[in-house]
Amino acid sequence: MNCISVKNVSYKYPYTEGFALKELNYEFEKGKCYGIIGANGSGKTTFCNLLRGMIPHFFEGELTGDVFIEETDVRNWDSNLLSTKIGYIFQNPFTQISGIKETVFEEIALGLENLGMEKEALIDRVIEVVKLLKLEQLIKKNPNNLSGGQKQRVAFASIIAMNNDIIVIDEPTSQLDPESTAEIFSIINLLRNQGKTIFLVEHKVDLIAEYSDEVIVLKDGQITLSGSTQEVLSNMDLLQMGVMLPQASMLSYDMQKANKQLDSIAITKSQVIEQIKQRVGV
Amino acid sequence: MDYEFINSFKKPQVQNNWFLDLNPLSKLNIILILAIIPIVVKRWEVSVVIILFYFLIAAASSRLKQFSKVYVRLALLIGSLLFIMRAMFIPGEDVLMKIGFLTITQEGVDHGLQFATLVVAICGALVLYSVATQARDLMLVLEKKGVPHTATYVILSSLQSIIDLGNMSKLIMESQKARGIETEGKVTNRIKSFFPILGPLFLGAISNSEEKAIAMDARAFYAPGKNTHLRELRPVSLSEKSVLILINLVFVGFIVWRVVG
Repeated sequence: MNCISVKNVSYKYPYTEGFALKELNYEFEKGKCYGIIGANGSGKTTFCNLLRGMIPHFFEGELTGDVFIEETDVRNWDSNLLSTKIGYIFQNPFTQISGIKETVFEEIALGLENLGMEKEALIDRVIEVVKLLKLEQLIKKNPNNLSGGQKQRVAFASIIAMNNDIIVIDEPTSQLDPESTAEIFSIINLLRNQGKTIFLVEHKVDLIAEYSDEVIVLKDGQITLSGSTQEVLSNMDLLQMGVMLPQASMLSYDMQKANKQLDSIAITKSQVIEQIKQRVGV
Repeated sequence: MDYEFINSFKKPQVQNNWFLDLNPLSKLNIILILAIIPIVVKRWEVSVVIILFYFLIAAASSRLKQFSKVYVRLALLIGSLLFIMRAMFIPGEDVLMKIGFLTITQEGVDHGLQFATLVVAICGALVLYSVATQARDLMLVLEKKGVPHTATYVILSSLQSIIDLGNMSKLIMESQKARGIETEGKVTNRIKSFFPILGPLFLGAISNSEEKAIAMDARAFYAPGKNTHLRELRPVSLSEKSVLILINLVFVGFIVWRVVG
């Protein structure tokens, strides 16, 4: 079942000449994780804003074509209700903290307060999320004084607490160190396992290879390649679109060149290990 | 998991201090009366008594250190400045001293003393309220009184923005220093290095405010329906209401007596 459909969509920001998104068509199914990749300026964040309904509700401009969120035209959605349906996490961990709460526990509860949840249920829900994301040590800390990685985890917790069916995640690890990146991706994996529909913009293609079910490649505001993660991330054309191939794919191609090719082009480390194990008979 | 901390949200937030635990609006009421008394009486002795009373309240609320730290500096700066300006420039007949073209008169000194202590007393009310009341508690009460949560958010967020801007300016100054720009030493050096950062500082703040609006939207900030509150304050007790009514009645009586008398 589709949760979002995009039909012939083009979009131009106000006071700009060119279109940031051009003739996009895609059907997004419920419960899948979609990786969105592309070079800088390819329209990834604009695409996120479209999927989240920020376009046309927050960002004005020229929108043509149709976007259906759960079979209702995005233009007919009450923008205030969209936030209860679609969660949004973006790259800057510093601006995602409300700045008005003095503890992480209260920060996570903010969205639920806005939704009008009763206090007992609210506390239980926050406890659940704190445990899920292993934030026990942070709950009494001031969110304004946390590190970037911790703030990003709190931002995730705040959105997860609201239990949205769809979550748009725009470059969540671009400002984080490898350790924090790993923590964030373990949270994304958790969301996948909960059956959420995830839109994940990420430059680290190795992580996209690990976690996405389908991948969409954007270039100059257009979808230039899309399909299953295996199909897309093993396609050498990606390099011409300004996107790196996963290390596993590069290794597979290098082995092919050296006439030691694997059974298929691997896109993840585990696939490479598996194929090499089979070859050497371990 | 610290369940003691979590369970603290299930009860009203109290600090076990009679003054701190007053409802923020009751505190505001009392402090406003204290600030208005010297305006009505117009005697420096009354202002001084009120100022001393602030210190007593601050001590009784275990906020003496925080209050004194801010207030003494502010009082010395504003008080001395206002006193000197008034004492030097208010004309009078009873000349005390002449310094160049300036004539200091008894009338000027009296006026300076009265005006300086009055302003310092008013400032004291503001400082005392700010150290004895958390802004978020005041906003919570205002929200419950019907003030839109957008307005309370803007106020709380602006207060945090002041801290954020301060931190950001320090960060930019550090980076400037790392690039070899002199940010210390002479005042002229400091000014020269400070002004160029104002542009990026405020542009950054404007750009962040857009992201913050998106982040708040993602937290259902504009969701229809009434929002709830995790924190709650102690309900205003009957005794607190009674004392407050009594104080207000005495104050109104005092004003009437001053006006009629």
